[in-house]
Amino acid sequence: MHYFLKRVLEIIPVLLIITFIVFTLVFIAGDPIALLLPEDATAEDIAALQAALGLDDPFYVQYGRYVVNMLQGDFGTSFRYGEDAMLLVLERLPATIELAIASILVAIMIAIPLGIWSATKKNSSIDLLATGAAVLGKAMPNFWLGIMLILVFSVTFSVFPVSGRGSFSHLILPAITLGTGIAAEMTRLIRSSMLETLGQDYIRTAKSKGLRTGIVVYKHAFRNTLVPVVTIIALQTSTLVGGTLITETVFAWPGIGQLLIQAVNNRDMAIVQACVMVIAFFVIMMNLIADLLYQLLDPRIRYK
Amino acid sequence: MEHALLTVNRLKTYFYTEDGVVPAVDDVSFAIKKGEVVAIVGESGSGKSVTSLSVMRLIENPGKIAGGEILFEGRNLVDISLKKMRELRGNQLAMIFQEPLTSLNPVFTIGNQLAESIRLHQKKNKKEAIKIGIEMLEKVGIARANQVYDQYPHALSGGMQQRVMIAMALSCNPKLLIADEPTTALDVTIQAQILRLMKDLIEEFGTSILLITHDLGVVAEMADQVIVMYGGQVVEQADVFTLFKEPKHPYTKGLIDSTPKIHEWKEELNSIPGTVPGPFEFPEGCKFADRCPFVMDKCKAESPPVIEIGKGHVVRCWLHGEKGLKLNESKSFT
Repeated sequence: MHYFLKRVLEIIPVLLIITFIVFTLVFIAGDPIALLLPEDATAEDIAALQAALGLDDPFYVQYGRYVVNMLQGDFGTSFRYGEDAMLLVLERLPATIELAIASILVAIMIAIPLGIWSATKKNSSIDLLATGAAVLGKAMPNFWLGIMLILVFSVTFSVFPVSGRGSFSHLILPAITLGTGIAAEMTRLIRSSMLETLGQDYIRTAKSKGLRTGIVVYKHAFRNTLVPVVTIIALQTSTLVGGTLITETVFAWPGIGQLLIQAVNNRDMAIVQACVMVIAFFVIMMNLIADLLYQLLDPRIRYK
Repeated sequence: MEHALLTVNRLKTYFYTEDGVVPAVDDVSFAIKKGEVVAIVGESGSGKSVTSLSVMRLIENPGKIAGGEILFEGRNLVDISLKKMRELRGNQLAMIFQEPLTSLNPVFTIGNQLAESIRLHQKKNKKEAIKIGIEMLEKVGIARANQVYDQYPHALSGGMQQRVMIAMALSCNPKLLIADEPTTALDVTIQAQILRLMKDLIEEFGTSILLITHDLGVVAEMADQVIVMYGGQVVEQADVFTLFKEPKHPYTKGLIDSTPKIHEWKEELNSIPGTVPGPFEFPEGCKFADRCPFVMDKCKAESPPVIEIGKGHVVRCWLHGEKGLKLNESKSFT
């Protein structure tokens, strides 16, 4: 437990370093004044707004002020919306998490059976088919797959809503769009680690005990491939929290991705910072959870 | 003659690789009586492990049993369904392996793995299985069996792990235990303990053992009958005293000569010249011809027949061609 306390405390310096990097990048990108004022604004207007927003201070003063405010829970105010930046981000967060979890579930439901299946029937037609499906799933761009799904299931057959968020049925098409690509990668990973596990001595032992093939495969072999599976799930979940812009746009899904890209275009520094902080926090948490799970899944793994 | 528990008759296990067919086990016959320990000796690649895995029907693709029969209490294991085979495995036929650590599943406790076959074959409930499991651990000499039951394999020493494997194998009171190099991965003192344990348990349970090893010391310690394999074939078979006293095949002689003796001082140990050829590199005729100090022209031309030169003593060598009695090829040797 001591180890995990240390890991949790380590989050603080990591987040601080991230704020510095993001702050620097946004600073280099230029100040947002030009976008906030009309084109015919005078030099005095610009200077006055810069002074009001504190943008005429040197970099280190601006960064210092930002960090001090942040430590007090104030992540700044959006230039664009005039609201607390973190609140704006947190408002979008449930939609993002909902979509991320749904997509991962879609991926797991496809990848685990398919991966195990193609490993146990190596080089069979099922295996070849699964490999083909994986290549296809990975190769289809999300915007294309999303639009195709809308065309077929929303426009032609009217089974699912076209876009937006609300009921469970709104979630299905975007989750499938995001889930297939992940499923493709996961299938390949599960197949290769199952193949490795199935060649282990303890599988031969399990067979020599007279166990049914199902128990040998699902208990003795699959349980041993869970560590890489958890790793890829954790990685993909953190990616989904930050990087689903295209799918969000296609399905008009009100998630963080859309908010972030708009904020970058508007040089809405406070929102960019808040978004990145939230995403970074998620990535770190997912890694931490994965490390915790490793211990549960493999008794040989113990942290000190 | 006492009825044999296991009779292997002209067994052929071939591997159908992309480069060609490898006859890993080629026309091997032997028999094991009840309570008997039969050892198969040979270098790596001699086919001894494949023979034992064939008996368990655990040969993986591209390997296949291509011919012959494996009669276990009169039933031919080559023909029976996989379901029937699974009922025998771990129950009447059990197996232990060379590397105890990798042979135990790292993510399940000893107890979990032990109770699994007890519950499966003896139809016991969870509580009874735990009780039997702990009793078995005590029987194989594990102290604190209660605690070890809940531990994971990596927490135990190599000797303890092999004891656990033996406990698992014997938990359903098998009639035949196949031990594939059971002591090779262990250090010498632990080896002696494990061998002693196995001996005690055969006496207690009356289990027959098929012992696979390359260690003649282990053979001398344990075996009643010895089968020497080379290149997938039985080259000599005899009871343990005859084999050590009067080895007839040059390969057996070579193996015995290359074992260091405790009362002899030698700068350099004897060894059989050359190495075991690759699967496709065996010579025509006698497979040992290239390494044999007594090689004759005939050996290179024609594969030697199996000849019985004494009671239960057979050898596959042209050197004994004239003196020996040619066996009827269709019959088993014992």
